[in-house]
Amino acid sequence: MQDSRPPSGLLTPHKSSSGPGPPGLLTPHKSSSGPGPPVATHTSAPGMVPRKRTTPNFRRMRRIIAEDTEWSLAIVPLLTELCIENIIKNFRINPILKQLPPEYQQKVLSHLPPDLPLAVTANLIEDEGYWRRCCLQRWPVCHVSRHGGSWKHLFFERHLEGLLRHFIPGTTDPNTILDLLPLCKDFVHSLRVDQLLPPVHLPPTPRTAGEQSDSGSEGEAEESSADHYALGPLVAGLSQLEELDLVYGVKDCGMNFEWKLFLFTYQDCHSLAATIKACHTLKIFRLTRSHVDEEKARILIRSLLDHPTLEELDLSHNLIGDRGARGAAKLLSHSRLRVLNLANNRVRAPGAQALAHALEHNTCLLSLNLRLNCIEDEGGQALAHALLSNACLTTLHLGGNELSEPTATLLSQVLSVNTTLTSINLSCNHIGPDGGKQLLEGVADNKTLLEFDLRLSDVTQESEYLISQALHANREAARQRALNPGHFVLPVTVNGPGKLVA
Amino acid sequence: MNPPGSVGVPEHNADQALSNPIHGPSIHSDDPQERIQARRLRIAARVEARRREALGEYLDGKKESEEDHSKSYKQKEESRLKLAKLLLYGTELVTNIQVAIDVREIHRRVEEEEIKRQRIEKLENEVKTSQDKFDEITSKWKEGKQKRIPQELWDMLNTQQLHCAGLIEDKNKLISELQQELKIKDDQYVKDLKKQSDDISLLLERMEEQVKSMMKAFRQELLHIEKAFEVERQELLTNNKKKWEWALQAHSSKELEYLVNRMKRVEEYEQQLNKQRIWDREEFIIIKIKLEQDVQILEQQLQQMKATYQLNQEKLEYNFQVLKKRDEESTVIKSQQKRKINRLHDVLNNLRSKYAKQIKQFQEENQSLTADYKRLVMQFKELQKSIRHFALIDDEKFREIWLMNEEEAKVLISRAFEVDKIIHTQHLGLPWTAPDFWFLHNVGPISQPLQKSATQIVEEVLRQTEEEGEEAASNPESYLDLPKQISSKTTKRILMLLCDESGFLIESKLLSLLLPLEKTECYLLRLDAIFSALGIESEDDLYKLVNFFFKYQAHHGSSSQTNPRDGTGTERSSLASGVERFSMATAVAQSSLESVIPRTSLASASEAAEQTSLEGGDGGEQEEKAAQAPSRLIHPNDVLKVLEAFVMGLRKSRDFWAPLKVGKDMRDDSKDSKYWEALSTVIPTAKQNLWDTFYTALERYHLVLTQRAKLLVENESLEQQNAELQSLLQQYLHSKINSELQVPPTQVFRVPTK
Repeated sequence: MQDSRPPSGLLTPHKSSSGPGPPGLLTPHKSSSGPGPPVATHTSAPGMVPRKRTTPNFRRMRRIIAEDTEWSLAIVPLLTELCIENIIKNFRINPILKQLPPEYQQKVLSHLPPDLPLAVTANLIEDEGYWRRCCLQRWPVCHVSRHGGSWKHLFFERHLEGLLRHFIPGTTDPNTILDLLPLCKDFVHSLRVDQLLPPVHLPPTPRTAGEQSDSGSEGEAEESSADHYALGPLVAGLSQLEELDLVYGVKDCGMNFEWKLFLFTYQDCHSLAATIKACHTLKIFRLTRSHVDEEKARILIRSLLDHPTLEELDLSHNLIGDRGARGAAKLLSHSRLRVLNLANNRVRAPGAQALAHALEHNTCLLSLNLRLNCIEDEGGQALAHALLSNACLTTLHLGGNELSEPTATLLSQVLSVNTTLTSINLSCNHIGPDGGKQLLEGVADNKTLLEFDLRLSDVTQESEYLISQALHANREAARQRALNPGHFVLPVTVNGPGKLVA
Repeated sequence: MNPPGSVGVPEHNADQALSNPIHGPSIHSDDPQERIQARRLRIAARVEARRREALGEYLDGKKESEEDHSKSYKQKEESRLKLAKLLLYGTELVTNIQVAIDVREIHRRVEEEEIKRQRIEKLENEVKTSQDKFDEITSKWKEGKQKRIPQELWDMLNTQQLHCAGLIEDKNKLISELQQELKIKDDQYVKDLKKQSDDISLLLERMEEQVKSMMKAFRQELLHIEKAFEVERQELLTNNKKKWEWALQAHSSKELEYLVNRMKRVEEYEQQLNKQRIWDREEFIIIKIKLEQDVQILEQQLQQMKATYQLNQEKLEYNFQVLKKRDEESTVIKSQQKRKINRLHDVLNNLRSKYAKQIKQFQEENQSLTADYKRLVMQFKELQKSIRHFALIDDEKFREIWLMNEEEAKVLISRAFEVDKIIHTQHLGLPWTAPDFWFLHNVGPISQPLQKSATQIVEEVLRQTEEEGEEAASNPESYLDLPKQISSKTTKRILMLLCDESGFLIESKLLSLLLPLEKTECYLLRLDAIFSALGIESEDDLYKLVNFFFKYQAHHGSSSQTNPRDGTGTERSSLASGVERFSMATAVAQSSLESVIPRTSLASASEAAEQTSLEGGDGGEQEEKAAQAPSRLIHPNDVLKVLEAFVMGLRKSRDFWAPLKVGKDMRDDSKDSKYWEALSTVIPTAKQNLWDTFYTALERYHLVLTQRAKLLVENESLEQQNAELQSLLQQYLHSKINSELQVPPTQVFRVPTK
């Protein structure tokens, strides 16, 4: 290119006169102005520095630049860009971010590789974009909304969960988790661990031994040594923890099923109780599918009594029984619990009665789930009686509880009086056609109920249909209320005077 | 009767706090603030409702408009409902699986329980039967011990073995049964697993399907809604287009109409223009003809004028010639005149210089004269001062000399009288009475009797009237030289009235001071204050006032008597003005203090005339009687009016007299000579004659007496000489003087030197 310039420079007068390029047209004037132009070329074209050496005549050089159609300012990258590239390259060793001006910070962050060690990035990088990239690289499906809308939280929570899921007590080094603790303590708000592995004792022997004795007696012998990972130190370190969701069990065991995989030992129970008692930020606690029996449930609930922040307790799919239910009822009056889930827990009438008694004076609980228990009419009636005086429960799930007509009769009375209940589930019961009719009467008087599940409960299709119609009307009214809360008062009062006059 | 909303509210309350901020505040709330707010809201809502009713069912209108305005809205609503239904059904479909599984689980549980129960029963039965069997076997063992016969024992053992085997078999059977069951359970577990996976897959499938169908439905509904919107938009567009076109058409038709109108009008205007033009043309022609005629006439006139011009020119030429000649003459005269002017100029200049000189002279003169004048004025002033001074001194001197002379004269007269008295009493033996002449009592130069001050008069009047009760008019003429037509009683009454009515003129301080005083004294002081306020100073003023009262009464008496009450209003109004006047009057009085004395003398003269005229009218007695009656009738309310009128009159009269500044009037010395003459003629000529004769007689008597005295003296001296001689003789005879007579002559010489 440079070689071809000089000759073409000789030809410039003709070209510039004929060529349409504006710089060519300007040249004669500028050349006559004397020594001024070289300075201008210096400042305007930093990319041309090397070329200056070859062309002794400034004027000619200028013309060459003007003629160069491929010339552009972006041939050599800016120094800042080079620096940024270098910073990105050496970020692992020398992380420089906070010292940079904001626009460069953004640039650096957008180019950082997502596989940097957490020790470097955890406390340094706040940028959501970076963490988003990290998350999407590791997990194909990410629900940010379940993690407070923060990708960084999502990343750390899921990272920690993954570590916990694959932690084998006695085999894995506990420091793998505890080392992470200082990095992630500010970003983990919830922990949802859907499996906790039991310790593996003599990997070859259990199988042989297991084959030899399949009976339950073997479980008790091994119980003492089947403790899971103790969450105490971890949870104590997580200062922001609000949600704890645990399953003491193995997922996807398939045909390798063994009872001992699902053991929730007393040791586990005590350590967990101590852990949740010490965690004062906890709002949601779930312990499901973990074979929590009456005693263990009582231990746990005792530790939860008067907990300052707990709002949701989920002990579904356990074996807490009536005594556990009684404990839960006690907890109801000693905490500010808003959601209680005791689904599938072998709760019978006495437990339900205890819960009903607690419910009668409770002003916090919004949702109660007693699915797949066996409270029968006795418990159902007790609950219905409690609801007559309760004014805050909105959701009640009594599916699969062997309920029948008497409960339905009482519930219909409740429905005509209660104005807080929005959702009731009575599916899989033996309500019967008469009960259905009575419920229909109750629903007809109610304006707030939005959902009422009566599937597979021997109710005639007619009443079910009519109930659904009433619910639909209620839903529409609720929607209107939600859309324009200001007009909510108006229709009532507009009708009011008219009625009064009448 | 309550609205349903308010019935349900109490149950809402707790809930509200937690989750439902939509509900407004409730009337039945525990919080009074909230109740108040709720009531306010209710009132506002009622008012709003009434307003809406007044606005002609605004709500209905709104609904109609909603129905009207939106196909899209309808579509939206429709799709929303549809989608909600779809969603509901979809979730139901999905949850149906769960419910079904729940039911199945329940059934399984029930069955399980049943089976368990059966199993336990069976096991219990088994235990029982096996226990029986075992018991049987154990009892047989005892039997066996008693058996001695080996066959029997063997048999028994065999049977025992059999029994045991049966027992074991039973157990084994049970075990195998249980194991069978376990296996079945295992199978069932596998089946359950499979079933679960099936269920889950079904669930997934349904969910997926649901999602797909929902997506589809949503998309469809979106499409519908979009379509509805599109249609609506299209409709709107077409409507608007139609409207637009209609408007455009209307516009163009109107435009056309305007155009036609315009054309018509243009034509009309053109016709009018043409008409106008023709008319103009005709007019123009007429005017032209007229003007041409005028031109001809004017030309004729021009010709005439030219002729006259010619004539005039000739005349003028002649005149010019004449004038030229005259001019020549005039130049000569002019030169003469110029010369004359020069001369006169010189004269003028001379005169001017003279004039200037004279002016200067006169100015100087004037200055000197003015200086003289000033000096003279000064001198005159000084002179005047000295004159005044001297006049004063002269007065004094005059008075002194007078007094001296008078004293002298009086001494002489008294001596004369004494002598006369002696003559009369001692020599003539006649009783002597001292002659009483007016001039004898006079002391000092004769002057006008002094003006009495008003207060003095008043005092006198008062005193007089007081005394009158006792004296009963014993000395009717005692007082005074003054208006005789008014009795002192009347005056007093008037003054009392005045005193009572014009209390406002007295200072409040004075009033307080007056309280403890006597009645008359009190009146006196009050009147004094009132007079000083009214500006009444002299006696004459007082009498004028009294007179004024009578006159006023005479003029207004009848009218004021008829309705005396009416005056009160005006009086009160004049009261304030009276106060004003009071101050003014005092001011006037002060300013005119200097001129009071001469003025009063003049005023007295005029008043005297007045009085005489009054006197002339009626007799004093009658007047008094007549005056007494009206004075009683002067209503107190009128007093102020009268006073006002009087003060006005007084002031006016004073003002009138004020400019008349009379210098010191000359003393009239007419009486002086009389006085002195009278003094000189104290002793009448008859007495003088008497004295002359008496003198001669006495002289004669004196002569005799002197002769006798001489003789007596001679006698006496002779007697004395005799006595002396006798004593001397005695002395010489009796004393040892002879020794003493022998004194050396030196001693004798020494005595006379001493």
